Amino acid sequence: MVSIKAGLRGGALAAALAAGGAAQAADLVWARYGDADSLDPHRATSTLSMQVWDQIYDTLLAFDMEGTPGPNMAESWEVSDDGLTYTFKLAEGIKCHDGSDFTAQDVKFTIDRAFGDAPSLTKTSWGPITEVTVEDPLTFTVAMSSKFGAFIPFLADSFSSMICDTNTAGTFGSSTAIGTGPFKLVEWVKGDQVTLEANADFVNRGDPVENPGAPYIDRLIIRTVPEAQTRLAALTTGEVHIAEPPFDDVAAIQEEGELEIMVAENTGQDVFWEFTTSRPPFDDIRARQAVAYATDPQMAIDIIYGGLTNREWCPVARGVFGNDQAFCKRYGYPYDPEKAQALLAEMGYGPDKPLETTMFVWTGGNRHKLAEIFQAQLAQVGIQAGIEIMDIGTMNARVKAQNEDSTSEEPGTFDMMTWSWYDPDILYQLWHSPGAYSGFQNAELDAMLEETRTTIEPEARLEKVQAVIRYLMENAVHIGLYSPGWEWVFAVRPEVSGFKVGPFLHPIFTDVKIEG
Amino acid sequence: MTRFIAQRLLAALVTVWIATIAVTLLVHVVPGDPVRIMYGSFQTTPEELEAIRVRLGLDQPIWIQYAKYLGRLLQGDLGRSIVGDQPVLDILLVRFPMTLALAMASLVIAVAVGMSLGFLAAYKRGTWVDAGAMILAIVGVSMPHFWLGLLLLFLFALTLQWLPVAGGDWMSLILPALTLGLANAAVLARMTRSAMIDIFDQDFVRTARAKGLSQTLVLYRHALRSGLVPIVAMLGLQFAYLMGGAIVVENVFAWNGVGRFAIEAVFARDYPLIQGFILFFATVVALASVIVDVAYAFLDPRIRYS
Repeated sequence: MVSIKAGLRGGALAAALAAGGAAQAADLVWARYGDADSLDPHRATSTLSMQVWDQIYDTLLAFDMEGTPGPNMAESWEVSDDGLTYTFKLAEGIKCHDGSDFTAQDVKFTIDRAFGDAPSLTKTSWGPITEVTVEDPLTFTVAMSSKFGAFIPFLADSFSSMICDTNTAGTFGSSTAIGTGPFKLVEWVKGDQVTLEANADFVNRGDPVENPGAPYIDRLIIRTVPEAQTRLAALTTGEVHIAEPPFDDVAAIQEEGELEIMVAENTGQDVFWEFTTSRPPFDDIRARQAVAYATDPQMAIDIIYGGLTNREWCPVARGVFGNDQAFCKRYGYPYDPEKAQALLAEMGYGPDKPLETTMFVWTGGNRHKLAEIFQAQLAQVGIQAGIEIMDIGTMNARVKAQNEDSTSEEPGTFDMMTWSWYDPDILYQLWHSPGAYSGFQNAELDAMLEETRTTIEPEARLEKVQAVIRYLMENAVHIGLYSPGWEWVFAVRPEVSGFKVGPFLHPIFTDVKIEG
Repeated sequence: MTRFIAQRLLAALVTVWIATIAVTLLVHVVPGDPVRIMYGSFQTTPEELEAIRVRLGLDQPIWIQYAKYLGRLLQGDLGRSIVGDQPVLDILLVRFPMTLALAMASLVIAVAVGMSLGFLAAYKRGTWVDAGAMILAIVGVSMPHFWLGLLLLFLFALTLQWLPVAGGDWMSLILPALTLGLANAAVLARMTRSAMIDIFDQDFVRTARAKGLSQTLVLYRHALRSGLVPIVAMLGLQFAYLMGGAIVVENVFAWNGVGRFAIEAVFARDYPLIQGFILFFATVVALASVIVDVAYAFLDPRIRYS
């Protein structure tokens, strides 16, 4: 149990601190603002957790740099004519970190566990799976009760991390974690650091990197350093090799040229406007459109993030199936304050009667500064928006509560929401009733969203997805602002080469080498 | 003395017991359905929410919940966190030694610097030494921990490179301990000064001097020992406060202490974690006051007999 270990650490603190101590030559230290919540892929949803799972576990399929899923641990797969049964063939010779063979039985163990007694946070993401059958050690079938278009991309995302069936200890996810990924867990000191060592047996079958085998570095140390200035200081002194820098210092870092600034692409992260549609003013489409026309995301991100992020027109961000800037722009809301004013005038608002509302914003990442720019832009057309800044958990709960309270006398709110997903199924999760926030929903949209799930042929599915995108944009329900949105900038020390961030913010360390 | 200590320990136990009741009630006094608040950001159906309610035992009468909680507690089971489903005790046990080390180290610095400065200022009352010491103390009290921490970091870690920025070996304890220690030294210096000035004016000090005792003996045996009583009380409080975690300093130096943990738990509305922290903190405060009481009794024998 980790408690005993932790107790020992406490008993001999100096020794313990020294043990967690100075990095060796082939140790790569990566500092992040927070720690993983769990090493059990069924017990957490945060990016910080997923990025650790990426190193310990592997997935049946893998994304290429553009975000398209391809073979990985599974060499091939077939779908039955009715689209309800998938048959997968595993690659030979995959080894778990404890030396056991990784077989179809481990896949069954993983999926059964995700659907098991203790509520798994990924249960709904797996889709309507009814049964997993082991045909032979390298072959298994997955049966579904209905077609599920997001299944294949899901198998390339670390939410579907494959865990070995030897993970039966009560400590799994806490102090033990047996996978097949490029690194093995050595120790997790919660809140402080995850120590991983290279898995010599690792074979890269699908990750978009050059190294076909085990990582070049000996150990990967993932440290928690909450304060951005401290991370930068540690990068400067060489204590840390890779870290997210403070935004305000990025330009200076680039000018200095010592550290390399890397920007992740195709993160699937979408920052967007959404509204409390259950009561005035945003039960009226014109009020929602007015906000969209009155705000200029390009100007705001240019000021706050320089060239580090992109204007995002689509409700599903770059890297996600269905994302098409030209298509989305056609139905989008280019900055047009006059149009906004005209819509507001139609609704009876004007210089003497401004539209009053409140904007919810998720704390961190300079988003509050962005919100202030939007606030000023909105004020110019006569929308008085107060700003409330809160953590993401509170924001999720409050947005839902706002939508469920249709009788309140207070004006409805709107918010700068942030979501990240590897598939347009995010739209189903957000907007199919009851929806993640009990927000905008109706039978017509529900039916359209169901079709995006039950259509699995790519071309046909694209059509269904784009129909939903068009509907959400024309109805001003989900208005894309920018992407990427969080934790996407990395500063890398000059002696480090080969660091790569795959799509959906999955850092890959197998190519990494440290000079000197 | 043994009886005195036993009495104080019993009182501490009662305090912790009351804390267990408060901790159980906590989930119920917060407005709204706790299960919905806790699991609000996850995709959960009403049936799943009900299942969670049953799993957490929140569907049962409150006294049964309390009895079960107490039963688990006696077995050392503080439950599991909602975020990440981690054993609460494990998380606390990782962070407790870190906080203890930081609190002790900064207290040592605070006492060494603060008391010497205060004592010196009192002894040299009205001189430039006194004025200088008190200006330093005001600067120390007024300077935000965050700023002082960053300044020390830039000086010792970045510019001089004598010490690590964060984490790593035991050397990384020095900067956060110095930051916290210097800030607390300032408070302590002011307290020590006023306590000692009071004492220096007392009759027994004059008597001690009058009977021809050496200056050292007067200061250390007579004045300091009496003057220590209020300072020890203050130290006890400061120690308890430090054990609650110094969030700002922990953040700057990436020190994995209890304070950061508590804030994270509150933000995540992670009740089992919050309960664990409150219980832990109540125990530390209760124990610290036992130690203060005993130290009091040791310094001032009258307290024992009253």
